[in-house]
Amino acid sequence: MKKLPSICPACQSQLNIKKLSCQKCSTEIEGLFELPSLAKLSGEDQEFVVQFVKCSGSLKEMARLQKLSYPTVRNRLDGIIEQIKPVENQE
Amino acid sequence: MTNIELNSNQQNRTLTQWLFNPFQFIAGGNALLAGLAIMLASAYLGSLSNSHFDGVLDLHIGKAAPLWIFLAEVVIDWLCISITLLIAGFIVSRTSFRIVDVFGTQALARAPYLLSILVLMPKGFIRFTKYLVSKLTQQVPMEAIKNTDVLFFAAGVIVAILMIVWMIALIYRAYTVSCNTKGGKAIGSFIAALIVAEILSKIAILTMWQLAL
Repeated sequence: MKKLPSICPACQSQLNIKKLSCQKCSTEIEGLFELPSLAKLSGEDQEFVVQFVKCSGSLKEMARLQKLSYPTVRNRLDGIIEQIKPVENQE
Repeated sequence: MTNIELNSNQQNRTLTQWLFNPFQFIAGGNALLAGLAIMLASAYLGSLSNSHFDGVLDLHIGKAAPLWIFLAEVVIDWLCISITLLIAGFIVSRTSFRIVDVFGTQALARAPYLLSILVLMPKGFIRFTKYLVSKLTQQVPMEAIKNTDVLFFAAGVIVAILMIVWMIALIYRAYTVSCNTKGGKAIGSFIAALIVAEILSKIAILTMWQLAL
């Protein structure tokens, strides 16, 4: 299955979901649905969040696994938080 | 692009990152330990050639002094730059950060001075420096210079300048990584903190000299 894009490749705007379908019974739902906050992040950032959850939220463990320093990983997480905050405020 | 070229590019990138931003790989306690070892070595080697770290960005050949003076100079320089950048970080940064990262990365950022000391150690460099000082102060030179001394001096000065530039780049990188600062605010606060730290370190080292004599 293809990865879900969150940014329009033509104009770089945020994408929304227009159609959903059930793989089992082929039911289709059409409308205008907003992507969840985490799905709006870039693929790399989403991967970072997944790794972070897998590490039980330990930045030290993340730093050890990625062979990066603690503040580098911390700054990356702060960058993601900065991206999520305005999205949540809009909601 | 072949695999060999790819590997070579990755190695180059890593080497560049290690040279100009090692703090994305090492910070905190590890950086502090490595930095303190480098500072101790710099102070010891400095005492052998009477090279004084008489300011955050200063390195001069001067008077003979006990080892503790050289140690105190490197510690004062490190504390001045770390504390001023810590305060700048508290003012500018919008996120929380660890104090040990600021002190650790700033200690490690002083590594280029260890290399500078090695370049300033050859007798040719010291002889030519003394010769220049005696000329400037209109005194008779104590020791005759050799033809090769000027080469040692020129090479030493060029390397020392490069090392200062490298050290400033490292101090800046250490600041942005440890305090999570970016853009114009990071540059402005860094320049201001560097000037304040230079002035503070000069005052502290001069005061120490006056008390020691």
